[in-house]
Amino acid sequence: MGRSKIDLAIFVAKRVVWFIPVLLGLITITFFAGHASVRNPCAVWVGPHASPDTVQSCIQYFGVNQPVWDQYKNYIANLFQGNWGKDPQGGTPVLPVILTLFPATIELLVSALFLMIVVGIPLGVIAANNSGRWPDHLVRLFYLGGWATPAYLGAVVLAIGIGPVLGLPNSSDFSSTPDPGWQITHMSVLDSILRLDGAAFVDAIVHLILPSTALAFLNLGIATRMTRSSMLEVLPLDYVKTARMKGLSDFWVLYKHALRNSLISTVTVLGTTAGSLLSWIVVVEEIFLWPGIGKYAFESILSYNFAGTLGVVIFFAIVVVIANLISDVLYGVLDPRVEWR
Amino acid sequence: MDERRPSSWSSTSRTRLRKAARAARSLYRILRANPLTFVGFIMVMFIAILSVLIVGVPFITGLFGTPVGILPHDPNELLPCAVPTECAAPPSLQNWFGTDNIGRDMFSRVLAALPLDLVIGFTVAGFALLVGTGLGLVAGFWDTPGTVGGTLSVAIMRVTDIFLAFPSLVLALAIAASLGRGTVPALIAIMVTWWPFYVRLVRGEVLAVKHLPYVAAARAAGVSGLQILSRHVLRNILEPLIVYYTMDVGTVIVTFSTISFIGIGVPPTIPEWGSMVESYEKLLLTAPWTVLAPGAAIFLTVLAFSLLGDGLRDILDPRSRRALVQTATAPGLPAVKASAAEA
Amino acid sequence: MEPLLRVEHLSLDYEVGAGTFHALRDVSFEMMPGRVVGIVGETGCGKSTLGQAIPRLLPEPPARIREGRVVFQGTDLLSVPKWKMPLVRGTSIGMIFQEPINSLNPAYRVSDQLMEAVRIRKFRESGETEVFRPAEGFDYSKDRPVDPKEAMGRTFLPSPPAARSAGARRGSEELRIDALEYLRLVRINDPETILDLFPHELSGGMRQRIMIAMALSEKPTLLIADEPTSALDITIQAQVLTLMKELMDEVHTSILFISHDLGVIAEMADDIGVMYAGSIVEFGPVGEVFDRPAHPYTKALLKSVPNRYKEDGVLPSLPGSVPNLSRLPSGCPFHPRCVFARPPCEPDPGPSLEPVKGAPVGGGHRAACYYSDEVFRLP
Repeated sequence: MGRSKIDLAIFVAKRVVWFIPVLLGLITITFFAGHASVRNPCAVWVGPHASPDTVQSCIQYFGVNQPVWDQYKNYIANLFQGNWGKDPQGGTPVLPVILTLFPATIELLVSALFLMIVVGIPLGVIAANNSGRWPDHLVRLFYLGGWATPAYLGAVVLAIGIGPVLGLPNSSDFSSTPDPGWQITHMSVLDSILRLDGAAFVDAIVHLILPSTALAFLNLGIATRMTRSSMLEVLPLDYVKTARMKGLSDFWVLYKHALRNSLISTVTVLGTTAGSLLSWIVVVEEIFLWPGIGKYAFESILSYNFAGTLGVVIFFAIVVVIANLISDVLYGVLDPRVEWR
Repeated sequence: MDERRPSSWSSTSRTRLRKAARAARSLYRILRANPLTFVGFIMVMFIAILSVLIVGVPFITGLFGTPVGILPHDPNELLPCAVPTECAAPPSLQNWFGTDNIGRDMFSRVLAALPLDLVIGFTVAGFALLVGTGLGLVAGFWDTPGTVGGTLSVAIMRVTDIFLAFPSLVLALAIAASLGRGTVPALIAIMVTWWPFYVRLVRGEVLAVKHLPYVAAARAAGVSGLQILSRHVLRNILEPLIVYYTMDVGTVIVTFSTISFIGIGVPPTIPEWGSMVESYEKLLLTAPWTVLAPGAAIFLTVLAFSLLGDGLRDILDPRSRRALVQTATAPGLPAVKASAAEA
Repeated sequence: MEPLLRVEHLSLDYEVGAGTFHALRDVSFEMMPGRVVGIVGETGCGKSTLGQAIPRLLPEPPARIREGRVVFQGTDLLSVPKWKMPLVRGTSIGMIFQEPINSLNPAYRVSDQLMEAVRIRKFRESGETEVFRPAEGFDYSKDRPVDPKEAMGRTFLPSPPAARSAGARRGSEELRIDALEYLRLVRINDPETILDLFPHELSGGMRQRIMIAMALSEKPTLLIADEPTSALDITIQAQVLTLMKELMDEVHTSILFISHDLGVIAEMADDIGVMYAGSIVEFGPVGEVFDRPAHPYTKALLKSVPNRYKEDGVLPSLPGSVPNLSRLPSGCPFHPRCVFARPPCEPDPGPSLEPVKGAPVGGGHRAACYYSDEVFRLP
């Protein structure tokens, strides 16, 4: 228990170990929810007009006639060998597909988070500093509006309605993305920087604007609301008054002294709501046709692609855990009273 | 000290009345100070009354003869138009929200969806509230390691962690898709994934309250666990729960309509906002009212609950309320008048 | 000599959900340079509000100043634009708060917070930034404070921490030396170590010393000390008080000392103002007020102090409690608890602060009571 680097390492290691049973539980729940309720997925996979022979060979190939428990054991065993199953319709292995799609999702997620922080936190500070007056009401209306807009509605309006008006590339316009041979990280922005390709960089940013705006606007409330309410808690405290009485201007009082302490709770909340951001990423990616695992999850779920769904579940869970870990570590960095345990 | 106790029922009722009047007055002050909360409150009341009327009026009139609805048209009724595939007409005096591409009245369709979404919002959030509060209380209150309660609470928290470690919408989608399409599977899917938030909320609050000095004092004075639970802990977690529930009704409605938007929720014959947005998506540029009307409906409904909940948080949440009062360190205690003779 | 601070008819309300609290009602007093003025009163009488209203530290809303003026060095602070108030704080008016636990920012090291204060003072001294200047040649006979725009009409430069020029960074070692000096000034033995700690690693007494060092390091003309010792152990309390007295002589700062503790006030103050229900009911030189109080409340308050030389008898206590500031009794707010109360006290509005008849002329002993001369004459 302390604040040394070793304590931090132990803390992170503990969290990673704790994550393993959670991940297994998650896989188990998703696996049985899918396999127990859909008795014969092959009928769906090969289509209603396929011959009985095709259905039979499908059953043989995927082993769906075996008891669910055996299928589960097989799946888990294969999982650890890196064989995450195959897409029943295309026959492509799941893991490589997810690995190429995953970076694009992270790119979208990070840029949305960036917007949420850059726009959301100052809005929360403004609202708290003007608590009960019109800037506060406006900010609250703004973030509650984002909260009240369903992801699909916001994304549809941005993609089909606003995108074309602003001349931004819309959903079906990803023709200008570079060919896969050139991709190194599979993140368009990072790739263009690595290739020192200015045009591609601008293009990548332009493509990112609408989807990340949609995602950020819908979730702005998380950052703004938390900043606002924790600032409301911090502002009347004596140390804020001490800072004011030193003769610091309002800007420094708010952003150096008060915000630093409010961020402690904001960061925690941002970390724990990574899950909800991922929820909406599925819808946003599908509407913008963003080539990430959200869109892949959407398609897998609808086509009863169990292997694909499970694969995405694992990756999503990893993202959530990493987000939580980052927020916990940031919490400790921001609050010197925290000891790693 | 017997004289101090209210001697008759009438005096108690009078104090009660006075208390109620004071509560009403402070409620009015609070609402006046929070115009947005007031707007949210009015909106929620309006929505609730409207949906009761939409369902109730045809039902009650149906008891006495032909059912009469308050909607101008049946939501699936095709209104006459010149070209059967291009019926989309902009909003007019006859059709307030216009008509869709096959000539259905959008106003009736949007309003017809209101009761369904509202009921689902209240039920799912209510179910989650009950289950989550129960489990959260157990996990928070009887968490001494080594006991049965301790083991149970570890188990509860593990399962909760599993659910919380995952985007709930994706899990709900996966479950809804494998249960088959329809309103009930969508409902079950959301219910299954919704309760863990409440477990964490309640457990956190219980742990916070449990170690407060006055609860420790009650414990030391020999008050039993159940009494502490009901008298101190439940009372304290009530406020955050009310706030969270209010906001959650809106969130459930959004989630449910998202599942419908994706196409695995309600069947196309039943009007639902999410599925409406999905089916009219392509018309956004040519007949925007078809998308904007259901979109605005869901936006306003969820906004109403969020405004109310967010405002309630500022009013009820002891922490933000304390922050509000702390800025004004004024004594709130009533004056005790002492006569000069006593001195 | 001109008073350093003159509070005139200051009235302030809090508007909160439960009602309107009249926290300050017609408060007037004067403070001469180099003097220590003590403000004493029960919990909730508005003394902290007064302390925070002078440098306009109270958030508006809920606070609302109804009327009055706070004339500091010839400038009415209430008419200074809000965004210019930081220039008055720190170097002109400093403050020490009640709770040492909460008054240092938990997220920053002592060095960071202390050096910030020193840096602000240095910037202002160097003339690189706009500062608050006492109005020169103001004349109270005209009873017109200097136009705040004139008092602070210098060119505006970025506030201190913003101007982190290369020069400022070079000076950070210098700031540290200065900070160490102030820690030694408040008798901290191991300043080098203390400077690199976080507030939560220090004891309450230590934190309060740092608070005092921080306030003093800006060399304020006026220091407002809001119950600086109330949250401390009795032994630490004595140390801190002794320290403050020594520092007063070293730094030549005028102090507005707010406390509920009559003993502390008697020890520290030159003048005393007794507050009750949001207004000053008696004001005058400490010795005179303590010897011959002219307001029944002061008299009762002095009586309730335990006397160590009188061993027998019940400790007298003041019956009743401080009235609710949102529902004050009609007439003199003290009359329900007052032994002297009789007719003009109840129907008439409360009396205002008037010189006490019979008290030495020019001593400035004033009281707000219809029967002040009667109370004054009592043994």
